Amino acid sequence: MQTVRDGKAGDVRLMQGNEALARGALEAGVSVAAGYPGTPSSEIIENLAKAAKDSDLYVEFSTNEKVALEVAASGSFAELRSLAVMKQVGVNVAADFLLHLVLYGTRGGMVLASCEDPGGLSSTNEGDSRHYAKMMEFPLLEPGDFQEAKDMMRWAFELSEEIRNLVMVRSVTRLSHASGRVGLGNLPEKKERAHLNVEGPPIGQMEGPIGALPVTLNFMHGRQQGKMRKAAEIFEDSPYNTYTGPDNPELLIVTSSSAWLYCTEAVDLLNAGDRVGILKLGCTYPLPPKLVTKHLSTTDKVFIVEELLPFLEDNVKTLAAEMGAALGHKTFYGKKDGSLPSTGELNPDVVMGGLAKILDIEPDASLAKYSEELEQVVGQSVVARSLTFCAGCPHRASFWSLHNALELDGRYGFMCGDIGCYTMGISPAGFGTLKSVHAMGSGIGLASGFGQLGQFGLDRPVLAACGDSTFFHAAVPALINAVHHNAKLVMVVLDNSGTGMTGFQPHPGLTYDAMGKQATPVDVAKVCRAIGASVTISDPFDVKGTTDTLLDLLEQDSGVRVLILRQMCALSPEKKLKKMYEVAVDQSICLGEACGCNRLCTRVFKCPALIWDASAGKALVDEVLCAGCGVCASICPSGAITRKEVA
Amino acid sequence: MNVYGSNELARDVQQAGYCIGCGACVELCPYFRNHRGHTARLFACSLEQGRCHAHCPKTEVDLEELSSALYGEKYEGTPLGHYRSILAARATGKVAGPFQGGGTVSALATYALESKLIDAAILTGADGMRPVPQIVTDPDKVARCGSSRFTAAPTLSVMNQAVRQGMRRLGVVGTPCQMTAVAQMKQNPLGIEDFEDPVALTIGLFCNWALEHKQLAAYLANHLDLDSITGMDIPPPPAAVMVVKTHDTEHQFPLEEIRPLIPLSCFICPDMTSEWADVSVGMYEGRPGWNTLIVRSEAGAELVEGAVSNGWIETEAFPGDRLQELAKAALAKKERSFRNANRRGLLQEGENGARPAMKVPQEVLDRLLA
Repeated sequence: MQTVRDGKAGDVRLMQGNEALARGALEAGVSVAAGYPGTPSSEIIENLAKAAKDSDLYVEFSTNEKVALEVAASGSFAELRSLAVMKQVGVNVAADFLLHLVLYGTRGGMVLASCEDPGGLSSTNEGDSRHYAKMMEFPLLEPGDFQEAKDMMRWAFELSEEIRNLVMVRSVTRLSHASGRVGLGNLPEKKERAHLNVEGPPIGQMEGPIGALPVTLNFMHGRQQGKMRKAAEIFEDSPYNTYTGPDNPELLIVTSSSAWLYCTEAVDLLNAGDRVGILKLGCTYPLPPKLVTKHLSTTDKVFIVEELLPFLEDNVKTLAAEMGAALGHKTFYGKKDGSLPSTGELNPDVVMGGLAKILDIEPDASLAKYSEELEQVVGQSVVARSLTFCAGCPHRASFWSLHNALELDGRYGFMCGDIGCYTMGISPAGFGTLKSVHAMGSGIGLASGFGQLGQFGLDRPVLAACGDSTFFHAAVPALINAVHHNAKLVMVVLDNSGTGMTGFQPHPGLTYDAMGKQATPVDVAKVCRAIGASVTISDPFDVKGTTDTLLDLLEQDSGVRVLILRQMCALSPEKKLKKMYEVAVDQSICLGEACGCNRLCTRVFKCPALIWDASAGKALVDEVLCAGCGVCASICPSGAITRKEVA
Repeated sequence: MNVYGSNELARDVQQAGYCIGCGACVELCPYFRNHRGHTARLFACSLEQGRCHAHCPKTEVDLEELSSALYGEKYEGTPLGHYRSILAARATGKVAGPFQGGGTVSALATYALESKLIDAAILTGADGMRPVPQIVTDPDKVARCGSSRFTAAPTLSVMNQAVRQGMRRLGVVGTPCQMTAVAQMKQNPLGIEDFEDPVALTIGLFCNWALEHKQLAAYLANHLDLDSITGMDIPPPPAAVMVVKTHDTEHQFPLEEIRPLIPLSCFICPDMTSEWADVSVGMYEGRPGWNTLIVRSEAGAELVEGAVSNGWIETEAFPGDRLQELAKAALAKKERSFRNANRRGLLQEGENGARPAMKVPQEVLDRLLA
């Protein structure tokens, strides 16, 4: 199996952005890597885990991002190079420790890789964690392409050791999940040894106890700000800050990350290369003041192109104001004047739109038609389908029973959810069962609160849903809270034996870790019982049993009742392509259009493998798509869907 | 009657709070289900017409249409509806008690099964205080269902179940709302060509109101262990109490505390004596151990004659003064309910096509509400 270890200096490989980032860390000699899965970040830890065996490397998927940052920091404190990996929302989870970490600083080079998702392609938000660099005072690097992803990751460890603080490397979906050519560098011959010196007075950077105290805080905060000044100096000469364009451009674009690529394309499409210069910054916080000032002085008009919030824009404007006496008045374009949107992803079209307006150019009309034509072509070859669970997904079965039990109970019970495949429980795919979706673990936290509102007349039954990975990640403290305060709720753990949504990364409930080594599984049921909740376990594929169990739990109407719905994800590596049942529709029994069920199977239950045979006017199972869970056989009122156990 | 689909039914009946949980819409399709007295619609359906709506006794009930179909006469709004005779009746010793009243219903249902007038009886038994609908084919098991829990039961759901299983010649025992649903079903309102009436006999019960199981359970749970309940009764006025018997004792609850639990649905029901059944049976106030028996249809008359001549029940003439009292009570319910329904805009078609709960001939309404 090829891993990101393969290839020697000078080789050029086609690499996914996340592979390039992992390779960069390996080239830097990283020893400890920890993360929590989250799209688009997950492949970095996965690739390092695959390479771990041959690399003298410890890799784990931690319980959550804060723990991952702590585990990685332990490596740095022991003078090993270490990496923490997460998506944008993970940085929020880790932020509590992050503030403490960067105040004291690091020893071995330490990098926090944050892979973000402008436009929320696989997220329920589009958080922008660049702001942590400013808020908590640590350097921020933003690679603009695949080569830079590898090179800047490698360099980030050196920078971290030079200033003895954490460095954030920020990627976005279009970098992490796209692929490009990457020229490789050497992997170090290494056998690093941990070296932990925690003896001595508590102010040493490389020795003594680690962390700040009230009495040392002032000193350490000053030291941290000194590190930032040093980083800014280093950034002045960084090869990752580049300029292309005329010496005195009519308009200066200041950009970073993959927005740089959109700018290059937009300028090219508008034939504006002789009018526009592009200052691409790889080092975006702290800004290198001399470099930026130098370029600002070459023009009067500045267009700042970045995704999401005006982070770069605000910082450049602040710098321009500080240098106002020398620079004079500038006209800025960006988010604040509406040249670019502050939400969603950018692309060459959007940048070109802003640019054309500023430059007063009429874009080539044929370009505008391009996306229309593309949509037409795509629309002809791809069937429109709403977001839904996979064929054989246990969540569909779980939400079927949950929805039905809540309707049968008839007291307008409602369910609070959070992040995972089961987020779709809020949509028709999950029969609209979830009524709230926020951060991981927030379902049970909200339910804990709703479960206390009986005194204000909220007498609807309250339920919460979380996945098995989420249970460990963030649900446990909220569950403890609910039990301790006698909240009235049913918590449903949708246990599909893996971190399903991000691609089966292990979690503490499983018997193996990210590197494939044996791990000690932590039992969700035992944890819940120890906390003081009652626990029932049911197989969601047993629709009747699960519905009846839920009805009983709802009727108990007091205390915290945990229901674990346990059934492995249809896509899990252990289950994939193994059918429990051969499922088929007996069209001689199926009443089709004439059935009073009004197409319960294909209109309501809607497993992608259950399809409508338009020529026969009856239901049909697509044998290729069918995962063989057999659940549909228990919903057909005519018994027309048959299932035969696969030997 | 105008027949709509499940969306109209859900909007006009369930969501508007008029569903009594009779079970008429349950088990016809996968969408309507009853759980412990509560009828739920699991998912929306896109069919424009359905039996769920057609059979429901709480929407688009056309009293004139029912009267003409069942009895070939106009609906006059008489207190006790169409009838051939009214008798005092009670079970002989041929069927074993104990009974809530005179045991007439149990005796008639047992006889109907014994004599093959029906193949199965749709009855309502009880599990503790919870009513449990049952399909009974063994005549010896009829009497086990011979007690009331005063809560609405989804009895007709098992009737629909029995029909789906291919059973025919059913005898159904139920409340006025359930008799209304069955009477509507008999009209084959969707006009399906090969429709075969699965019900051979209906025995209606007198009913002033019923309670919602969950609400009553919640109320009683404050006072006693629900699992210990063995029987319930509401003795005739002036007692004004509900009596709940348990294994070892008897509790009395004032009706003024029970009445607030009566569902809205019962306040728009004009029928106290199950006017659309073949025979109707109720208490005989002032004569414990006896029932009032109203014979309405030809099938009902045959049933009663057979039951008497075969020694299952004995009958006596029903005294005129009792009849007047009965008619007075029935009329009071009719007037009260028409008035309530009228005030809520549930009678006749609304001005902008609003769907009514009931259609009553205008002259009848004018007379009763005058």
